[in-house]
Amino acid sequence: MLIKKAGRRGSSVSWSRRLVPYLFVAPNLAIFLTFIIWPAIRGFWISFFDSNDGVHFKYVGNANFKEILHDPTISQVARNTITYVFFYVVLAITISIALALVVNEQKFAKGFFRAILFMPVMLSPVVVGLIWSDIVDRKHGPLNAAIKFLGGGAPGWLVDTNLGMVTVVFVGLWVHVGFYSIILLAGLQGIDRSVLEAASIDGASRMQTIRQIILPLLKPTTLVIIILATIHGFQSFDFIYTLTGGGPLGATTLIVQYIYERAFGVPIRYGLGSAAGVILFLVIFAFTALNFIAGRRRNAV
Amino acid sequence: MKIKSLRSKLAISSSLVLVAGLVATGLPSAHADTSTLKPTAAQLAAWKGKTITYYFYHDSQAELDTTNAMITDFQNLTGATVKLDDVPYTTLDQQLQARIAAGNTPDVARLNNPGLYQNVALDLETYFGRTYKSEFLKGSTLQVQDPKTTHLIGLPYDLSVNGPIINVDLFKKAGIAIPTSWNWATLIANAKKAQAAGGTDYAFAMDKSGHRFSTVMSQFGAFMVDKNQKNVLPTSQHRAAKALKLITDLYAADLAPRDLWVGTGTKYSSPVNVFIAGAVPVFFSGNFNLATINANAKFNFAVVPNPKELNGGGWPGGKFLMAFKASKNADLAAYFTNWLAQPAQMERMDKAAFWLPTRNDLVAKGITYSSRQTDMNNYLADAAATPSAAYGIQSVPTLTGSIYNNLRDLMTLVMTKKITADQAIATQISFIDTQLATLKK
Repeated sequence: MLIKKAGRRGSSVSWSRRLVPYLFVAPNLAIFLTFIIWPAIRGFWISFFDSNDGVHFKYVGNANFKEILHDPTISQVARNTITYVFFYVVLAITISIALALVVNEQKFAKGFFRAILFMPVMLSPVVVGLIWSDIVDRKHGPLNAAIKFLGGGAPGWLVDTNLGMVTVVFVGLWVHVGFYSIILLAGLQGIDRSVLEAASIDGASRMQTIRQIILPLLKPTTLVIIILATIHGFQSFDFIYTLTGGGPLGATTLIVQYIYERAFGVPIRYGLGSAAGVILFLVIFAFTALNFIAGRRRNAV
Repeated sequence: MKIKSLRSKLAISSSLVLVAGLVATGLPSAHADTSTLKPTAAQLAAWKGKTITYYFYHDSQAELDTTNAMITDFQNLTGATVKLDDVPYTTLDQQLQARIAAGNTPDVARLNNPGLYQNVALDLETYFGRTYKSEFLKGSTLQVQDPKTTHLIGLPYDLSVNGPIINVDLFKKAGIAIPTSWNWATLIANAKKAQAAGGTDYAFAMDKSGHRFSTVMSQFGAFMVDKNQKNVLPTSQHRAAKALKLITDLYAADLAPRDLWVGTGTKYSSPVNVFIAGAVPVFFSGNFNLATINANAKFNFAVVPNPKELNGGGWPGGKFLMAFKASKNADLAAYFTNWLAQPAQMERMDKAAFWLPTRNDLVAKGITYSSRQTDMNNYLADAAATPSAAYGIQSVPTLTGSIYNNLRDLMTLVMTKKITADQAIATQISFIDTQLATLKK
């Protein structure tokens, strides 16, 4: 009887212990489900409906998806998005690795340099857009003043279609590269010093150490950065909207601005915007999955 | 006898019910003058402590300051509270549509695109009688009528007129007299001269707006939609292309601030700050920018008559007040719109913010502005000289925004030499046809 009681008490304690972690997670999970998962499911559902006032919805099947695919501007938006994401991701990885390596070697004012690197991430994207629109202003911007001083012309950074894309990629990098560098810096500092010392004793040059030891050991962190940069690239909108409004001639209109304008433009069409959002979700999901699978395969090898 | 008695009893009871209803709601009779309507004791009792939201945007600080002062007066008058929700002009419709969709409709709004809200607007004639609309300019009320019942669902709050504003100091420096009449060739020649004399960045600037450019088209005798909701651009295609080329050539040649037009994508932009900075001698905008320029410009400036080609005059526009069906205090919201548009309040705002009145009584009486009377007279003269065909597009209030915006985007393509002016107008004709077809669905 005693044994039975103890057993009962024991299983009860064990059950509550098992429950405790879930109780701790529950508030966060509730917020996540309410504000992320449920709107995502709802968005997917709404993509099959049309409405021009956001109040009265009519089921239209896959008509919204068809409309997007037949929209004459969608090919330009897709091209812009792919161009932006490609250059943004490649340059972000390259520059942030280089910066992390440089900062890792810093002996003097380490904290200061890390803070400087991180600072752009803390700025409001609207402020970023406004600051850079002044800097690259064709007539009175300091950038063109410097170019003129060096004997150059006055490039239309926000007026020329190609330069418009160059400008938004550059500003995107300016905002995020510091953040990626700090993550990579943490990865660099996690590398066992004895491996680097062994390479040094074996007579490896600095470049050989970087190429054959540091970069391979940094792969897991780099994979995280690739995924983050890909997601950031596809999601870029706020600073671009403030900087160029998607211009000139739609040259910097990316998919998120397209979604925003379809969903919240005049008249609002939540169904169409949601359909474009679903397409974006599928694309990002596919890219992330590919990255992940490729990364795991490389690690396995 | 019994029947007679019953009839008279019914008649008396009906009259009593009607009178009681009128007393309770404060509804005026069909022909009552609503221009000085005051709340009844019953309304004051019912409204005390109630709150309504006024969704608002402002073109000038003067508009905001005057609105705040008027709200204080309204609160003192009614005992109700008015919460001013001041939003940027650039997101006015996005935010309001989203709020309506989310069930967070404000009680009253100041709008410039009232056609979008026809389905959710409060019928003001229920409150102020069938003849209420006759208090306002007929052209302006067209945009705030229920398409089915023709009832008034909003109030024209101000009439705006487009036209050129010049930097007088730069004109004087170039030895050019302030123009009293001119055409586009003279305007451009003078603007270039003034630019050369003052060494300014640009000769000419225009708000990035299809509405503003429609003024130039009208002067060249080209219109897009007539009062019967018909696409009339094909009949004036060449004149429209000529007007479009005239303006886009200025931008292509860097004589106008191309960066502000081309480099801002789908966003609205106004070169008002370029003008205030003294960087352009001729600014083509509207009277809604006058208060801002008056408060900030450090040079002499003047509103001058619109250039005349086939036509003179400006292009009509304006802002509107609308109360919404979803309001929990609909009668208070309706009264607030009425009160803001009463002669005393409208005159107060017109004087402070250089607005043009939309009330027939104020138009007949005339507004005496504390300053810039000559400028306002020029706007009034241009309003009078505006061809009646310019009001045609107001017959499609749900489509004006998209028609103007498409025209603006086509202008961007022409100024960057992607298409010609003729191609742009041909594309605009097709676009208008497509848009008008949606009305028949």
